[in-house]
Amino acid sequence: MLLCDFHIHTKYSDGSVELKKTIDLYGQAGFDVIAITDHVVNGDNSIGKLAHRFKLSVTASNFDEYISNIKYEAERAWNKYEMLVVPGVEISKNYISPEKSAHILIIDIKDFIPACLNYEKIFLEAKQQDALIVACHPHHMSDMSRDTLFLWNNRDKYAKYIDAWEIANRDDVFNVISLKKYPYIANSDFHKARHLYSWKTLLNCKKDIESVKHCIKHNKGVAITLFRN
Amino acid sequence: MEIFYIFAGITIFGLIAYGLQIWAVRSTLKKNNGAILQHSNSPYPPISILKPLKGLDDNLFDNLASFCTQDYPEYEIIFSLQDHNDPAYKVVRKIRDKYPEKNISIIVEKCDIGLNPKVNNLIPAYRASRYDYVLISDSNVMVDKDYLKEIVKHMKDPDVGLVSNVIKGIEGNTIGSIFENLHLNSFIIGSVCFLDRFLKMPCVIGKSMLMRKKDLETIGGFKAVKDVLAEDYVIGEKIHRMGKKVVLSNYTISNVNEYWGIRRFLNRHTRWGKLRWRLGGIKYFSELLGNPVFMSCLPILLWEPSRITISFALLVGSIKVLGDYYLGTIIRKNEFEKTESSHSINSIPPFYYLLSPIKDLLIGFVWFVPILSNTVVWRGNRYIIGKDSMLSPCPETGMWAWRYRIVDAIKARIA
Repeated sequence: MLLCDFHIHTKYSDGSVELKKTIDLYGQAGFDVIAITDHVVNGDNSIGKLAHRFKLSVTASNFDEYISNIKYEAERAWNKYEMLVVPGVEISKNYISPEKSAHILIIDIKDFIPACLNYEKIFLEAKQQDALIVACHPHHMSDMSRDTLFLWNNRDKYAKYIDAWEIANRDDVFNVISLKKYPYIANSDFHKARHLYSWKTLLNCKKDIESVKHCIKHNKGVAITLFRN
Repeated sequence: MEIFYIFAGITIFGLIAYGLQIWAVRSTLKKNNGAILQHSNSPYPPISILKPLKGLDDNLFDNLASFCTQDYPEYEIIFSLQDHNDPAYKVVRKIRDKYPEKNISIIVEKCDIGLNPKVNNLIPAYRASRYDYVLISDSNVMVDKDYLKEIVKHMKDPDVGLVSNVIKGIEGNTIGSIFENLHLNSFIIGSVCFLDRFLKMPCVIGKSMLMRKKDLETIGGFKAVKDVLAEDYVIGEKIHRMGKKVVLSNYTISNVNEYWGIRRFLNRHTRWGKLRWRLGGIKYFSELLGNPVFMSCLPILLWEPSRITISFALLVGSIKVLGDYYLGTIIRKNEFEKTESSHSINSIPPFYYLLSPIKDLLIGFVWFVPILSNTVVWRGNRYIIGKDSMLSPCPETGMWAWRYRIVDAIKARIA
């Protein structure tokens, strides 16, 4: 089984660990597949503008540099640890109301997708890029200030676009995903080194990006594990 | 004012002792080990490296990989774990796959012969070892390519029974790991070298211990230390009492501490403090007296925060910062002289030395804990530490057991 984490932030957004150090942290711990998913925040309201001002978001202007650095590190990670590193982003539509907020992982992204687009456009753009779409922390969390409920509340409309839902995020488990029998993965939502020890995904597939995406989309051979030291 | 003079006197004593520690480190690192090899033409003996593993240490992959790239003719590495679910298991399998040409074994065996989990882990590895020389090496150390050749030199002398190494802390991205590295590179290295050079006392730290099997078996093997917390120190003591030399090699090995929280730092040094209190008894008080920063701050608390007390504490803190920085320079210089590919490039950045007095103050408070508590929680189990660090299971019931339950309940509530 491949030990995987598809939700990792670095200093490109609000993570506290640099990209290189993050790769090493996961490589040293024996991980097989990780996705770097820094925030792309909507800039159409005051919360988003603040995030852009404090450089807590990947933007159109630094996206290419972001991707090329991930690719460089991915090569290093493969040579040193045999760990697959996949570029991604977390589209973060933040509003004061958690009912309106949503975070979406776009894994294996190729081109920049602005977070201020509407949901359909974001999903279709991601599909066009053959990226994987994951709904992050879709239900109530232990830290209520982080709640992002829009996708869950509008699941009837948007579930068809979503390849997988986070059934567990760091310390939280969302049993509603299980009850609805949606495809699932579990991630750390890594921001600090200690977040390494959290929920993770195990995949029974080959260690290449197409197999990983196929495995998650079809949700066969997927398990979750609480990774502890 | 008398209080101030008393503590000022103790502080000056501490500074003198600290100066002697720096001298001891300097002279230990300057020892010329190369001379030993020149007197002998015997080939390098094959070595079994025993690696007990439990959980993930910082930098685990590189630490283990550094043992697979040794410039040494014949050696085997035995990774030993207690169960397949240990996260380190995945890492060692990757290491074995990366170095297929190396003689690497992975042993997963639940062994609960004793109370010391590290010894329990070592026993199956020792049983599987093939060579006459065994090297016990912790999973949190990283070494350079010439490590085995350097330490085995001492074994050319048949009177040498055990070789251990000087340890330095490297990396450090969080406050806990910076404190840990500062402490390893000042107090720990200073004390080990001081005891070795001036008092001729063997002070073995288990991160690297090279022995002959026959010597280990003469002292009763690992079973003799299965219920001892300080198995490394006790093995060193027993070999010393057997009449063999316990050598402190000047070859420094790196202990990589990158992402420690402050709690982990305090927990480790509380445990080590309890261990030294049980082993050293009254000698343990010298550690407090030898902490000049803590001693210089006591008049501020016990007398008054006046200009003289604060100035004195600041002066002592500055001296300690400079002393620690100088020690760091000695260690780094020794590394550069020794090898070009040294890990010392990751030594503590100069700015971090300013945190040294804060670390010493914390250590000063930690010093009191072993006097008040005789239990230790190690890898999830609580033990009572007896004389010579002998462990016994902590009773779940009984007259005094309620206090452990209260402590556990408070900890659980805080968590």
